[in-house]
Amino acid sequence: MIRIAAAGDVHYGLDSAGLMAPHLERLPECADMLLLAGDLTQHGGADEGAVLADELARVEVPVIAVLGNHDHNSDQEVRIRALLEDAGVVVLEGESHTIEHAGGTVGVAGVKGFCGGFVGASATDFGEPEMKSFVRYARDAAGALEGALGEVSSADHRVALMHYSPVKDTLLGEPPEIFAFLGSYLLAEAVDRAGADIALHGHAHRGRDQGVTPGGVPVRNVAQPVIRLAYKIFELGRKADAA
Amino acid sequence: MARPPGEAPHYLIQRIREALAHDPRVGELELGVTLRAGQVFLTGTVHTDERRRAVSQVAGEVAPGLEIHNQVTVVAALSGTDDVETVS
Repeated sequence: MIRIAAAGDVHYGLDSAGLMAPHLERLPECADMLLLAGDLTQHGGADEGAVLADELARVEVPVIAVLGNHDHNSDQEVRIRALLEDAGVVVLEGESHTIEHAGGTVGVAGVKGFCGGFVGASATDFGEPEMKSFVRYARDAAGALEGALGEVSSADHRVALMHYSPVKDTLLGEPPEIFAFLGSYLLAEAVDRAGADIALHGHAHRGRDQGVTPGGVPVRNVAQPVIRLAYKIFELGRKADAA
Repeated sequence: MARPPGEAPHYLIQRIREALAHDPRVGELELGVTLRAGQVFLTGTVHTDERRRAVSQVAGEVAPGLEIHNQVTVVAALSGTDDVETVS
């Protein structure tokens, strides 16, 4: 059995130092790893990334993260990634990472992802170059996620970690008019094709926590404004252990 | 007859939303902005008290003279949890 702590949208700024520290300190008691689902910073500043990296450096369980749209806003995402990696955080963008644990191996595939909408109301790569580029970026992100999940196909447990939502379920509460800017069905399709035990995302602050892909993979929106906790904890493998 | 100068409230809402997204004091894309009876209502969540105060400042700068109702809440009073969801 594996315990995963997960949070998204921690939105660290220069005024955030210490916000999560008390909860990060007790992670070893309650979880085997911490997954962060993007929007780690408020404005995408490397100085903000440094504030979070300083806190994550002290975490005593493995930390795996993807970046979010906020982390790209100041064109400093490469520096943010480097700061986090220097602090021991594994940052994934169309990549995978495997953790060996007594409860089984855990393969985490991560990607920021992108938007574009959901079946019946999604963008199509047709017309102007800008529109084609928009859709192809989302398609490439989904393809990268599928590839990364494939890399960890032999793991006992697989987690798909992303920032944008793969389903509409977890967006309910947001204005329907902006669903197409909050996620893409292409991400769900990637998860369903490759397989995963759970898909975790953030981004939708006004959404709700639970959903499922069309293929039956549980989806959880772990954005802090949704879970109202420092992190949410999920167990994988308990049902199998009990069987 | 030509329409008199002045900005329709519809567009003012969007200007406040964009200011809240871009202003370095706030940087939030997901705040709700509504305009009723000449009053601006701001809703949603931010992570610190400082950002909550800045929400009022930024909205007030974009819409001077309008009454601002800041109903934004702070999520940063984060709590830990012993609640565990068994997924598989």
